[in-house]
Amino acid sequence: MTDEAPKYVSKIDRRTALTWIGVVGAATAAAGGGVVLYNHKTAGKPAAKGYGTDPNLLHPAKASWPRILTQDQLQAAAILADFILPASGTAPSASSLGVPDFIDEWVSAPYPDQLKDRPVIVDGLSKLSGDVLKADAAKRTAALAALPGSGFFKRFRALTIGAYYTTEAGFKDIGYTGNVARPSDPGPSAEVKAALDREFRKLGL
Amino acid sequence: MAAAEPYDAIIVGSGAGGGMSAYHLTRSGLKVLMLEAGRNYDPRVETPMYNINAEAPLRGASTPDKPFGFYDATVDGGWQVPNEPYTVAEGSEPFTWWRPRMLGGRTNHWGRISLRFGPLDFKPRSRDGLGADWPITYDDLAPWYDKTEKLVGVTGAGPPRNLFNTPDSPPGCLLEGPPPRAFETLYARAFEAMGIPVVPMHGAVVSQAMEGRNTCVFATPCGRGCAIGANFQSTTVLLPPAMATRNLTIVTNALVYQVDLDGAGKAKGVSYVDRVTGEHHSVTAKSVVLAAGSGETARILLNSRSAGFPDGLCNTHGMVGRYLMDSVGLGVRGQIPALAGLPPTNDDGMSVEHVYAPWWGYAKQKELGFPRGYHVEVGGGRQMPSMSLAGLLPDGDVSVGDALRQTLRHRYGSVIGFNGRGEMIPNDDCYCELDPGVKDKWGIPVLRFHWKWGESETKQAAHMVQTFLEAIDKLGGKPLGKVETDGRKAISKGGEMIHEVGTVRMGHDETDSVVNQYGQTWAVANLFVTDGAVLVSSPDKNPTLSILALAWRSSDHLATLARQGALR
Repeated sequence: MTDEAPKYVSKIDRRTALTWIGVVGAATAAAGGGVVLYNHKTAGKPAAKGYGTDPNLLHPAKASWPRILTQDQLQAAAILADFILPASGTAPSASSLGVPDFIDEWVSAPYPDQLKDRPVIVDGLSKLSGDVLKADAAKRTAALAALPGSGFFKRFRALTIGAYYTTEAGFKDIGYTGNVARPSDPGPSAEVKAALDREFRKLGL
Repeated sequence: MAAAEPYDAIIVGSGAGGGMSAYHLTRSGLKVLMLEAGRNYDPRVETPMYNINAEAPLRGASTPDKPFGFYDATVDGGWQVPNEPYTVAEGSEPFTWWRPRMLGGRTNHWGRISLRFGPLDFKPRSRDGLGADWPITYDDLAPWYDKTEKLVGVTGAGPPRNLFNTPDSPPGCLLEGPPPRAFETLYARAFEAMGIPVVPMHGAVVSQAMEGRNTCVFATPCGRGCAIGANFQSTTVLLPPAMATRNLTIVTNALVYQVDLDGAGKAKGVSYVDRVTGEHHSVTAKSVVLAAGSGETARILLNSRSAGFPDGLCNTHGMVGRYLMDSVGLGVRGQIPALAGLPPTNDDGMSVEHVYAPWWGYAKQKELGFPRGYHVEVGGGRQMPSMSLAGLLPDGDVSVGDALRQTLRHRYGSVIGFNGRGEMIPNDDCYCELDPGVKDKWGIPVLRFHWKWGESETKQAAHMVQTFLEAIDKLGGKPLGKVETDGRKAISKGGEMIHEVGTVRMGHDETDSVVNQYGQTWAVANLFVTDGAVLVSSPDKNPTLSILALAWRSSDHLATLARQGALR
């Protein structure tokens, strides 16, 4: 058994990833071998484009801009995402829902909010990768435990929470039961009404 | 192509005003050509009804390409439209202008709040000496409100409340709405303890099937549009029956920039540029109806210069572009412990609020220190999670793992947002004109906006903040984030409420207005305006229902003139 953190395997398909790094082509793709290799150096600096003002809403295309995280940064993102939201009971871990790929999509995006996050997240992940990727379990735990409170952690955690709870698994975990067609809206259940009545009494309302 | 037929009317724009005009004119037997600046759009096949944020780029978060989020219905627009700039004058307060480029315009994504203006709203100057009186009364428009509510499908029926200046609809106009959600029941108690009544919202979402339209399924946000026609969009409610008459031709991507006159000074048609090909076209008809939105309608008139109208059509008295108004707006959010930890429940309901608080302070405006009021729209509940979910965590929380999951589950659905929407009094510092230098991609001069909130508005904004803080306190909650209590800083930007109205107002004569009570321009008898530009005041009640009712009334007048052969 190794002490190292388990390797994160990207949840996006290989061809898409190769498109992002600018090496689409049968010959190159054949050399890939299962695990996606991120390499920001081969990506060069194409002028990244957003999805435009009239994207297909019904069948959204995957975000097309080149991804910028290095393999080490992506691995660090997986470790941190699972430190924030590990598997628990029936709830899956953040990495198993592809949260690290989403972080990459987010920080690579050519929009103002994301460009503002980019240096915070990329620098934080660079530093973290040095502290956790080759470290033993004790050092890794110490490095992660030292993070909360930093601006990087706060932002990374907010992105992780957003990415996680916008999935079906996230809906289940937090208790969102909507997005289903209903013949009528019955309003709050008797149970909810009773709970509210107790609150009204407490508040004197 | 479009010019082949002898049209009775050209309608510029396909939103609330244009859609309603087309609905009535085609059904009155007139041949109509509708020109829409945006692309064709069909909500039945384009609406992402049940998509979840995980399927969208950036989990659906807002970007400059899609400012209200990825799934918002708006096409090719938002605060900026590619190739179609506008400017804000130096020294002006900020102004921002929301435009879509799609068939149906803003009716595709709007908030569906459908409140009638009250009797006082038509006579503000008689009330307190401020603003200007309309040339019509509430009673003039009431029958058109009745018809509009029945056609559009508006929920909110209930026993008459007889609230001051907040009209009840006559029996049979409104449909039954859904019961209040848990958070709505809760905030209503706090408001009632503060002497603020909370009543059913009037929302343009149907709770029973109507012709060609399904009933609401109490899921998926109306702002995405509605594939089953359960909410009001021009594209699902007005344009299909107009098309069915075979009297309507629609040309999309047609950006109208000018009304053309004949030798006698009557409108003979309009000129437009095709946004895709860049080609210019002129089309003719017996009458022209402008309904391009308050900004674009004013821009078209100002760009229609001739020897008789060197400063723009209908602008002899300098009234075009003046009295631009918006709604006063701001919001305060609070976390309410009483809502935390409630048993999971489906809060989707109708997207529109199920209840709201109409303005309650008519009798005490003097002591309040500001002349006009606002209503309150409150959002909350267990909404589909978005990228902003972490915002419900307490300040300074750094938890992870099970502790974090527990906090999120507990506080989910416990944040509510109070939003005020208030009346603005028109003032001389708020107007639009042509920018002397800037032109759009096709060389057409663009609008330059001037904006300045008055004290009547900033004091009202400060009152909103105090009201919301008091309600949050009564509920045992705490406001979220930094709360600005200075009304001058807390107030929305001009245009930000997307209720810009009043650039081509109606009035009693041509020296104080551009159009008469039927939207007919004083200067050109066969030229009409049927969008929000004709509004004389901007009451707290959201303008769309009134734009629809006025457009129907004006179109009926136009149809009567057509029958009499009085157009050309």
